[in-house]
Amino acid sequence: MTRQRTTELGLVLVAVVVTVGTYTLAVATDTPTPSSVTPFLIQVVVLLLGAHLAVRWFAPAADGTLLPLAALLNGLGYSVIVRLDPELAANQAAWTLLGIVAFVATLAFVHDTNVLARYRWTFALAGIVLLLAPLLPGLGRTINGARLWIRLGPFSFQPGEAAKLAMAIFVSGYLVEKRELLAVGTRRLWRFVVPDLKHLGPLLAAWGASLLVMVAERDLGSSLLVFSTFVIVVWVGTGRAWYLGVGGGLFVAGAVAAWAMFEHVQSRVRIWLDPWQDPSGEGYQLVQATFALASGGLTGTGPGLGSPERIPARETDFIFAVIGEELGFVGATAVICGFLLFIGAGLRVAVRARDEFGTLLAASLTIIVGFQAFIIMGGVLRVMPLTGITLPFISYGGSSLLANYVLLALLLRVSDESAGETRIRRVVRRVDAAA
Amino acid sequence: MNLRIRTVTAVLLGLYTLLFIQLNLVQLVRADDYRSHPDNTRDIVRQFSEPRGAIVTADGVVVAETVEVEGELERLREYPHGELYAHLTGYVSLNYGASGLESAFHAQLAGTDREIDLKSLSDLFVDRVRTADVVLTIDHSVQRIARAALGERNGAVVAIDTQTGAILAMYAWPTFDPNLLSSHDLDQAREDRFALVSDPEKPTRSRAFQERYPPGSTFKIVTAAAGLEEEVVTPAEPEYEVADEYLAPQTDHPITNFGDSSCGGNLTEMLRVSCNTGFAELGVQIGADALVAMAESFGFNSTPDIELAGVVESVVPSADFYDENIPLLAQSAIGQFDVAATPLQMALVAATVANDGVMLKPHLVAEVRDSEGTLVSSTDADAAATPIEFETARELSAMLENVAANGTARSLQFDDDIAVAGKTGTAEVGESDNTHAWIVGFAPADEPRVAVAVFLQGDVQTGPLTGGTHAGPVAREVMRAALEALIGDPTEQN
Repeated sequence: MTRQRTTELGLVLVAVVVTVGTYTLAVATDTPTPSSVTPFLIQVVVLLLGAHLAVRWFAPAADGTLLPLAALLNGLGYSVIVRLDPELAANQAAWTLLGIVAFVATLAFVHDTNVLARYRWTFALAGIVLLLAPLLPGLGRTINGARLWIRLGPFSFQPGEAAKLAMAIFVSGYLVEKRELLAVGTRRLWRFVVPDLKHLGPLLAAWGASLLVMVAERDLGSSLLVFSTFVIVVWVGTGRAWYLGVGGGLFVAGAVAAWAMFEHVQSRVRIWLDPWQDPSGEGYQLVQATFALASGGLTGTGPGLGSPERIPARETDFIFAVIGEELGFVGATAVICGFLLFIGAGLRVAVRARDEFGTLLAASLTIIVGFQAFIIMGGVLRVMPLTGITLPFISYGGSSLLANYVLLALLLRVSDESAGETRIRRVVRRVDAAA
Repeated sequence: MNLRIRTVTAVLLGLYTLLFIQLNLVQLVRADDYRSHPDNTRDIVRQFSEPRGAIVTADGVVVAETVEVEGELERLREYPHGELYAHLTGYVSLNYGASGLESAFHAQLAGTDREIDLKSLSDLFVDRVRTADVVLTIDHSVQRIARAALGERNGAVVAIDTQTGAILAMYAWPTFDPNLLSSHDLDQAREDRFALVSDPEKPTRSRAFQERYPPGSTFKIVTAAAGLEEEVVTPAEPEYEVADEYLAPQTDHPITNFGDSSCGGNLTEMLRVSCNTGFAELGVQIGADALVAMAESFGFNSTPDIELAGVVESVVPSADFYDENIPLLAQSAIGQFDVAATPLQMALVAATVANDGVMLKPHLVAEVRDSEGTLVSSTDADAAATPIEFETARELSAMLENVAANGTARSLQFDDDIAVAGKTGTAEVGESDNTHAWIVGFAPADEPRVAVAVFLQGDVQTGPLTGGTHAGPVAREVMRAALEALIGDPTEQN
């Protein structure tokens, strides 16, 4: 237990060093040591130590690597944003503070994940409301052609980010309740034994919601993320490859329909296949990102020394290209490795979870982060068509940061519970041995 | 369930491996292709938006500077004196890269040079201005007089400090305005550049060092030098027969004198009147080996070691060639037939005679100074070769002084009593009647400081040009201006 926390503290300090170092290089263009470095160092240390102490207090046995990884990615992202746009960076700093407050609050209030499982239908409803909120007239706002935001007073918020969490909680709870029913076939359809259609309802509902998000909000990335996470978690829960098949089929059908119906979807596919055919038009963003990555080379131009201002959406969707340019192949690889380690740690939490709900929740939360990072890095690198979505913990964006810190807190909660369980088992074993 | 989670882990690991492979391709394997991709203006725009040092003349006149402007490119390269220095500064163009000194000294001007970079560890963190200024050896007042004297006649003027090898003026007409090419209006720049490169007069190529022409009788200095060094002649003897034509072995096409006159006598006399028949005979007596060797030791058949790229070499045919072509050796001895020189080369010949036979490395850049004015590097006088002995140089010098005092180069003479030395040239252009005019010279004759070469290109419009009449006055003015720039009013020195 203390070993995890000691590891965490050590790794958090490494994250502090990397963050403050990158920040110093990124802002140091006029003076050798910018006067903002010391206050920044203090802020970073206070925030991360606060988070660390909260984990010590509320989830003492939780995994010790997840918080440092998130802190590293967050700090790296902030240092890049501060170099791109100091005003956005001030917002991002405020959101980071809020994110860590939400992290601590989640750890403090969610003592037992089973409570979440109990409210799965509430979360389902909340998720749907959140997803659809931007469509409400007067509340929703359209930014960059996508209707993903709602405005509450001076704040804009992307409710889809919170909806992801609600969806993960719901699907995990639902599977725990119904997975046997869902796994057992009751009807025969040609050669396959398929479950009763009424049990497929949620799957179809998720598909419908994804399509709706894609069509009405033009948010391809979130749509893809939510639906694929959903299908995979259902498969993990039931063990029926059948769901992967149907899910894949539904996905292909949705994708083809979207491609046929929407010019912007066709455009994404076109520039994925060949951005060079219109390098100053629709291919501009990807072409500029490619040039940025290429100019970074092995070790990068150095923080603050590249020309990322030419890449549209550099603070959000394309921040990975900025990292590739200024921190080079080495820095970009570090980010990829950071996410891989996060995935590894998250799925280890899932495997060791105390109960099925914990396993499914940790798996879906990890898959959300892992897939989301893959979707946007893959889009920037042209491994797959570009669908705009934030790079977790790194991109500018308050809703995303806030949601990801809550996600992190839930993962740590599951992890802590599993360790608690082991502890009880150990005591039980010892008691048995004594008897 | 745990097995399936492991499968998910493996799938995600696979997907991230794809990312990593693609990252390798983009950032490492194909990076060079992307960096040099025609649509990639990244480096250029960045380079154009960054500060760049100035190019200034020896007397402190800015001839290339970077000014801040509004727009995507934050800075514009300007050439305040436009075409006066175009062939030397070259230009920095968004589409066509850099040329001239802008290209040769790019690292220093742009501040990427190691010598200027990183003076202390704290520089790692500071965006200190690392650009450096390039200081030319060119004197603005001399350069301006060169332009005024040459006017809009196709040709070139070169003036060299004989004691250092520093080029004091180098101007050629036609020239071009480098501001057209450094313009941010890329379409206009493309149009202007097309007009310049397709102009048959080739304004972008300097006639001072990027084109070569038959040097005519100015080459007799080289022939005379070879004759003296080979001890075929002395200034006083032998006496060559006074003749109006010379018939070399193996031919029945005689060489005639200018204006079909008769001439002869000793070497001093033959230089004074620029006697073709006698020099042709002298050339045949010297032989191809010694004549070609002398020309080569003066720098023919090799590119002058100067800071600029694109300088052409002056040429003489190889010695073997003349074995079967003795008449052509006679032609070459008087600076015709396949002997071709740049005005820069002929100025170097004059400067070498003036400097007692030691050829100094010509240079255009005196020093490089960083943004704080600290000296980064400077060019010192540096001997490139010693083509002729001290005695030979003195004898040639005396004879050339006689040419300017009493012979064909009288138009070089100053109004006062400062003696000058020189040699004219009038070179035939193919089979036409048009002739190029040349003159080379140096002053003061007794204690030389400045050497000049002037070339005027003859064509259908100009008709026949002669060195004495046409080139001489240009050379005199430039030589005088250069002398004054170097040592103030030369009459007060005595």
